[in-house]
Amino acid sequence: MTLTRLIAVAAATCFVLLPTQSFATIGSCNEPIVLGTTISETGPFSTLTVHWRKMTEVFAEEINKTGGVEVKACKKKVPIKFVIYDDQSVPSQAVSLYEKMASVDKVDFFVGPDWSAVAGPVPPIAEKHRIPIVAGNVATPSFFERGLKYFWATPAPTVARWSERYFDMLSKMNPKPQTILFVTQDNPVTKAITGVWSKKAEAQGLKIVGEDTFPSDLKDFTSIISKMRAAKPDIVYISSFDGPSVPLIQQMRRLKVHAMDVHHALLNGSVQKQVGNDVEGMTGELPWYPGVKGPYSDMIETVLKRSDLDMFDYIFTLGRLNSYLVMVQAIEKAGAIDREKVKEALFKGTFKSPAGDIVFDDHGQPKTGAFTVQMQNAKPRIVWPPEAASTKVIWPSPSWQ
Amino acid sequence: MTVDVIIQVLIGGVLLGGVYALVAFGLSLIYGIVRILNFAHGTLLAVSGVVASLIYASYHLHPVFIALLLAAATFVFGYLFYMALLHPLGRRNHFESTVGTVLVTVGALLMLSDITAVMAGATQRNIQLDFEAFEIGAIVVSSAQVKILLGITGLMLAIHLLLTRTWFGRALRAVTENRVGALICGVNSTRLKALTFAFGSTTVAIAGVLYAISFPVSPYMGFGLTVKAFTIVVVGGVGNLRGALLAGILLGVAESMTSLLWKPEWAPALSMILMLLILVAKPQGFGKKSA
Repeated sequence: MTLTRLIAVAAATCFVLLPTQSFATIGSCNEPIVLGTTISETGPFSTLTVHWRKMTEVFAEEINKTGGVEVKACKKKVPIKFVIYDDQSVPSQAVSLYEKMASVDKVDFFVGPDWSAVAGPVPPIAEKHRIPIVAGNVATPSFFERGLKYFWATPAPTVARWSERYFDMLSKMNPKPQTILFVTQDNPVTKAITGVWSKKAEAQGLKIVGEDTFPSDLKDFTSIISKMRAAKPDIVYISSFDGPSVPLIQQMRRLKVHAMDVHHALLNGSVQKQVGNDVEGMTGELPWYPGVKGPYSDMIETVLKRSDLDMFDYIFTLGRLNSYLVMVQAIEKAGAIDREKVKEALFKGTFKSPAGDIVFDDHGQPKTGAFTVQMQNAKPRIVWPPEAASTKVIWPSPSWQ
Repeated sequence: MTVDVIIQVLIGGVLLGGVYALVAFGLSLIYGIVRILNFAHGTLLAVSGVVASLIYASYHLHPVFIALLLAAATFVFGYLFYMALLHPLGRRNHFESTVGTVLVTVGALLMLSDITAVMAGATQRNIQLDFEAFEIGAIVVSSAQVKILLGITGLMLAIHLLLTRTWFGRALRAVTENRVGALICGVNSTRLKALTFAFGSTTVAIAGVLYAISFPVSPYMGFGLTVKAFTIVVVGGVGNLRGALLAGILLGVAESMTSLLWKPEWAPALSMILMLLILVAKPQGFGKKSA
């Protein structure tokens, strides 16, 4: 091989082996700020995201009504625009779509996706392209311990604060409950909730008189309920998504389970539709509900109304909307459509949402709580904390006596 | 662990097993006479349960009337399905016929599930009857459970009478015991197979109504039930009503007791192990020894 050819080959090899780097670029002040996202419009998670595409478009319209996001460096407000794809509830599809949005669509920032099962492999794409990503409903704590620098999420509530207000309410009830029993669906999020809140229940002085985990497709709960009846707990704490818990609740009624309260950590309109009156008197958690005033609450109420969305039917909606609110505020705080500056703003900032302030820890996880609701006359009523309550809690729950 | 708890769980297990037995018996007949493994069998139960739930929610018809309506509809569906899609495969060679029936029944499973999900939604539903609960000491039995038990008993009795007192039943038993002999005696094979397929479909549709009273149903839950039904057919013996009932109840009780004594997530696996142990001890299952 001649020397010239050798040098050419060496140069070509270096070019191939040199890691490609995506450098953050300053966005244009004359074009809308582009937020790339995926929504699980089809597949197993699609029942949780009905009307979310419309909601996302309406959110952009509402923000743009006043001109858009205030960007100091542009000396004006810049409108936002969403690029939305359907990830089909499939993680590999989500990965390829976020890659597409980074490489082909050239979005400025990422918001979403949702669900630990789908969103898990997406943040490395954001890391690779150095695009800040504020995911929605991603609550599994271990996801935030991967050393990612460009990843935040706005699950509402977080596992660590999921039932904080509920247990606060229990400590102030008269008669005071003494015992608690946990029934948990075999799922990472529901098991994480039980793992955290069973410890906190014990720390609060509640005696755990039973713990059962059930597979998602279990239909006959006779054995679990028989043990429940024998243990006679004051509180039954159900940690399960809506579908798998339906036969449990129905059979608890049929087999005459009695308790001061039956608490469902993921109570929502879907449970109510499926079990009907059996849900009466149960308590649950709700990140927020229209009527509770807070920053952006009027705008969010408008968005929900225009999108024909009921927050109780789709309890993960606020988590998704919070990801949009946080990103918009981060751009304002950064003062520029600059990925690195927005990243710094996300690390340090306090962000407003209708349910309260969102402050991220060093790993990108927020500390968001939830309000305690009770089903009274077939309607969810916020009953705790008292300052946000729309009505008083009925204690003990009469329909479970 | 008190005796009351064990009795409570046994009651639940027996009821669950009774429904399994109804599902399995239809499949057993279809396999015994038509020689087809119908992979869509459990899906037909799921679809029937969903339709029954919708009819009940919309018109509040009594479940008995709903069961009769669905029985008639699935009888016609089963007959036409066999004649149009499965019977033509019988003219092919053995290998093509077997592969073809698997493809047709699996395809039917997928299509039935998806069509039902599109038309009725994928959310689970059930027939929400008002019920009373009877307490005997610490044991609770709901009126819904009593009605289901009566339904299973009545249906088993009806099937028994059909098999023993009608020409159709005698022809079925004859073909099960001696196919060639039955043919010589003038049993029309094609018509009998179509009627058997239709009858098996009817049985599972009625089981779907009973299932929907006890548990929620959804369009995609059928295949798991088909697998349980296959197990019961093997253990109970092909075409054996008593064997299917015994094996079904054994499976239901095994699942319930495993959930009680160990963990619910182990119930399906341990009950299958139990069935396998029974087959090791008694290879012909609960059926009669073959000649």
